[in-house]
Amino acid sequence: MTLILDHITKAYTDGPNEFKALDNASLEVKAGEFIAIVGPSGSGKSTMLSIAGALLSPTSGKVLLDGENIAGLSSKEVTKRRLDKIGFVFQAAHLVPYLKVKDQLNIIQVLAKKGKKHGNDLLAHFGLKHRMNNFPNELSGGERQRVAIARALMNDPQLILADEPTASLDSKRGQEVVKLLADEIKNRNKAGIMVTHDERVLSFADHIVTIRDGKIE
Amino acid sequence: MFLAIRELLFAKTKYILIGLIMVLTASLIFIISGLAQGLSSDNASAIQDLQADALIIEEEAEGEIGNSFIPADEREKMIEAQGGNNNASTLAIRMMNTTINDADQQIDIALFATERNGILMPDVAEGMFPQKADEVLADATLKQEGVRLGDQLQVEENTSYTVTGFTADQRYSHTPVVFISNDELEQFNAVAVQGEANTDGSYEVITKETALNGIPSYSQEQASLNMMIIFLYVIAAFVLAVFFYVMTLQKREQFGVLKALGAKSMYLIRGLIGQVILLSLISISIAVVVTFGIGALFPADMPFTLELETMLQPAIIIIVVSTIGAIVSLYQVIQIDPIEAIEGAAY
Ligand SMILES: Nc1ncnc2c1ncn2[C@@H]1O[C@H](COP(=O)(O)OP(=O)(O)OP(=O)(O)O)[C@@H](O)[C@H]1O
Ligand SMILES: [Mg+2]
Repeated sequence: MTLILDHITKAYTDGPNEFKALDNASLEVKAGEFIAIVGPSGSGKSTMLSIAGALLSPTSGKVLLDGENIAGLSSKEVTKRRLDKIGFVFQAAHLVPYLKVKDQLNIIQVLAKKGKKHGNDLLAHFGLKHRMNNFPNELSGGERQRVAIARALMNDPQLILADEPTASLDSKRGQEVVKLLADEIKNRNKAGIMVTHDERVLSFADHIVTIRDGKIE
Repeated sequence: MFLAIRELLFAKTKYILIGLIMVLTASLIFIISGLAQGLSSDNASAIQDLQADALIIEEEAEGEIGNSFIPADEREKMIEAQGGNNNASTLAIRMMNTTINDADQQIDIALFATERNGILMPDVAEGMFPQKADEVLADATLKQEGVRLGDQLQVEENTSYTVTGFTADQRYSHTPVVFISNDELEQFNAVAVQGEANTDGSYEVITKETALNGIPSYSQEQASLNMMIIFLYVIAAFVLAVFFYVMTLQKREQFGVLKALGAKSMYLIRGLIGQVILLSLISISIAVVVTFGIGALFPADMPFTLELETMLQPAIIIIVVSTIGAIVSLYQVIQIDPIEAIEGAAY
């Protein structure tokens, strides 16, 4: 499994002016590979990640997920790809406030209408078993982010995307969380992309890609 | 409903509060419906339950029985035209003052004069069917005025009737009806017909429905109560619409995340509609109990009719208008973009 971003441009028009958030950017991630994207604020990191995750469609260029160009699919098809193939870890965990930890994972299976429940195994694996009946507001930031990573693994996705997963954590917790993410990507043979500002977690990545003004350097 | 139910349980307080408003609104709707129903019977049960399908009245009366006057010598001809006494009877209505057994107290009654053995005479609930010319059948609510079987009702200077039997649910213009024989009347108001009415065109045929609206104050009374009920429906719809609109606004980010994780708009919408229907169903059930409780506290002679069947229609309307209210929020849900879950890409 590979993700290929092939000559992606994302342009926003602002009256007569055109602004390119991404300019002819290409990137390839293979299974088992964990890539970190860095760059100054406004350089297009989140845009790149959103396009890779089919949350945003590019102005031009291809997004090949397992050989299929997901840039041209209908929104319904795209939703299905996200559910089947992609796992997200957001900046601020973004857990659903009224779901207990175990249901944060179960919801993925409810949405996918798939039977096998391995949520408990995942929680045990992440050392969260004793927390499974707690609500998100009863968890620490690190625990929340661990639940978010477990949730991203729930649908057994081929691609895991994380946008600044450590932004709300202190540096020690941040390192733990990124190490966890990197280990899971390695052990389960997933492709992973992480956007980050945090230089101390870069050592966990296989490659570091720098974006400046929408261009990959 | 996985999410919808869990959210209801988690945000209990909010939903209980809005549910409380729904219970109060629904109870008010039920109580006013009961009052409308009760007043309607009090005003017109004698016409509503009249053993006839149509009424023949004078053309000039413009649908109001009370304005139609047909001379008594037309009677035979008209009844014959409808196929005889088994199909038709004449009806004369007069509002009267009466005193019981020569006491001082005056009571209002409605005299319904018709053929003694005709189709309009109601069944006897208590006592005996009148035999002689001065014997009458009276509505049972006269008992609340102290009338007993065998009592004399004095109307006008030199006419008095003996009550030999009571009948149920016969009220007209908020007064009890007394059925008398029409032997001596010089004119009557209408011919009541079972089945199809035949006329040669010199008279008008009206339905019982039209006749009801011809009763003084009947339609005004019902219209003002129905107006209140309609307003309450609108209020219920608005309250729910605003509540769910604000709730949806608050859940914007969360819906974005769920969509990014692979939830379809349809799934989220089903949850929302499910919540509205569940909330209204529970509120209505509680309101039914509350209304019966309040109804039991009302005095017996208060015109208030409460039956589960008559509550069904308002209950369904409440659910429908609540759901319509929630539709305002659907657009919100649909246009939330999953990209909002990613920081920086959204506002
Ligand atoms: N909907 C939009 N319309 C116009 N311009 C946009 C839109 N979304 C993003 N941009 C612009 O595209 C550029 C890249 O945005 P992006 O969110 O990818 O930056 P980023 O690298 O993630 O920055 P940060 O580190 O601050 O999160 C920014 O200059 C931003 O203003
Ligand atoms: Mg960003």
